[in-house]
Amino acid sequence: MSRPSTLLEARNIGLRLEERWLFRNLSFSIPTGAFISLTGPSGVGKTSLLRILSRELSPTEGELFCPLDPAPKKAMIFQDLQLAEGASSLTNVLSGSLGKYSSIKTLFGFPQKEKERGLILLRELGLEMKSNQWASTLSRGERQRLAICRTLLSHPTLLFADEPVASLDSEWADKTLATLLDSQTKKGGSIICSLHDELQVQQFSNYILRLNPSDPSSWSWEEPNPIS
Amino acid sequence: MGRTQSDLLDMESKMPWHSRFDLLGITFLVFLGSALGALPSIEGSGRDLDYLGNLSRFLSQFFPPDWSILDRTLSGLLETIQIALVSTLLAILLSFLISLGASRNVAPLWLLWPTRMLLNMIRTIPSLLWALIAVVIVGSNSLAGVIALTFYSVGYLAKFFSETFESTDLSAQSALKSLGAGPLQAFQYGLWPNARPIIWSHCLWMLEYNIRSASIIGYVGAGGIGLHLKLYAESAESWNKFSLVLLCILVVVTLLDFTGEKIRHAIRKKLDGVAAQKH
Repeated sequence: MSRPSTLLEARNIGLRLEERWLFRNLSFSIPTGAFISLTGPSGVGKTSLLRILSRELSPTEGELFCPLDPAPKKAMIFQDLQLAEGASSLTNVLSGSLGKYSSIKTLFGFPQKEKERGLILLRELGLEMKSNQWASTLSRGERQRLAICRTLLSHPTLLFADEPVASLDSEWADKTLATLLDSQTKKGGSIICSLHDELQVQQFSNYILRLNPSDPSSWSWEEPNPIS
Repeated sequence: MGRTQSDLLDMESKMPWHSRFDLLGITFLVFLGSALGALPSIEGSGRDLDYLGNLSRFLSQFFPPDWSILDRTLSGLLETIQIALVSTLLAILLSFLISLGASRNVAPLWLLWPTRMLLNMIRTIPSLLWALIAVVIVGSNSLAGVIALTFYSVGYLAKFFSETFESTDLSAQSALKSLGAGPLQAFQYGLWPNARPIIWSHCLWMLEYNIRSASIIGYVGAGGIGLHLKLYAESAESWNKFSLVLLCILVVVTLLDFTGEKIRHAIRKKLDGVAAQKH
């Protein structure tokens, strides 16, 4: 079997914030079809690393290398969700697909096939009964699932998720992670996800990147279930 | 070691006298001084009139209201409400476009200041003056009322809209941009849904305000119930008709105030939603 191709490669990257190194000499590659967990205590730099990988932030040292041309499509599930509060759940989800259409096409609504996809996603994450409700009226956990649906509808190849299940009970957390894993890996995409719960980390990950708060250089890369 | 009370009093007496005044105190003193200074210029006719007697005689002519003109009054009120509805709709459309030019986070600087100046100028002119101008141009009819109130409302609504755009949470807009949306799409699906409920609250308020304004602009010929007020005020022995018109306006405005307030409150509450849980 051929080696899985690489979507993104981090080469010796390091980040220094306010006179402190969060991590240094970080090197790893993200293969296609992988679920990579990013873990470590709060404040260790997980969000910053995700922002570097999504090219929202520049590393202090090192570089990112992308062997594919054109570069794979990226998307981020934000920790603070960033939803449109006064829009319905369905509209919030559908707005994930905006990049595929021109402004004129979406001026008066979305194509029927996107609506169907949006409704399927909402149903998978248990929000089908709330599709017409404003995002502002949903609970924190429901809002988190809504933000996930929105990002999934943008069909990214590289999905970065910043603690996407932090507000969910364990049942919904497992179900949501399974949906993320399934929708990303079956089309050859990958997901890099910061997680706190060790059980979830062990259950879903192909690779685990652990950051160390006491020594920025002694991060670890584990391969419990590598992609063959 | 703590200071004794007399130490503190001593210290305070040594502070300069003007240190006790802040902006609030100074402006209040200036206001009070000017108002008292203006008193001598306010004069009555100089004749020895029986003020209270005049008032009671005048008010007694208001009662009982003349219910025979109810139908005519209601149709005048209907015209007033129609003027307010059409002018508010036109003002909303115009204000939306103009407010984009007056919002710091949407418009470039070269557009921002001229637009704001224009809005300031529009706001300087009172609704009755807009009505006079419109009557001169299109004649004495309800179209004049619509034109007058549209211009008058744009001055306020466009300012409210632009302030709303400036204070709206922009995170959803930037999230959509990061997911590949264009600027117009990010505005339509990211910023607009967050601003829309507040904007609609402002529109409802403007509609209420315009129904009140539309009741008076008829006085200068711009259509609606104001014309009835003028006619009854100027003809002899018609104060009981005048009072019926006032009564009808009062009922409509009160109902509107009450409903508008309820709707605005419900919208705000829905948008704030589970804000407590979000943070």
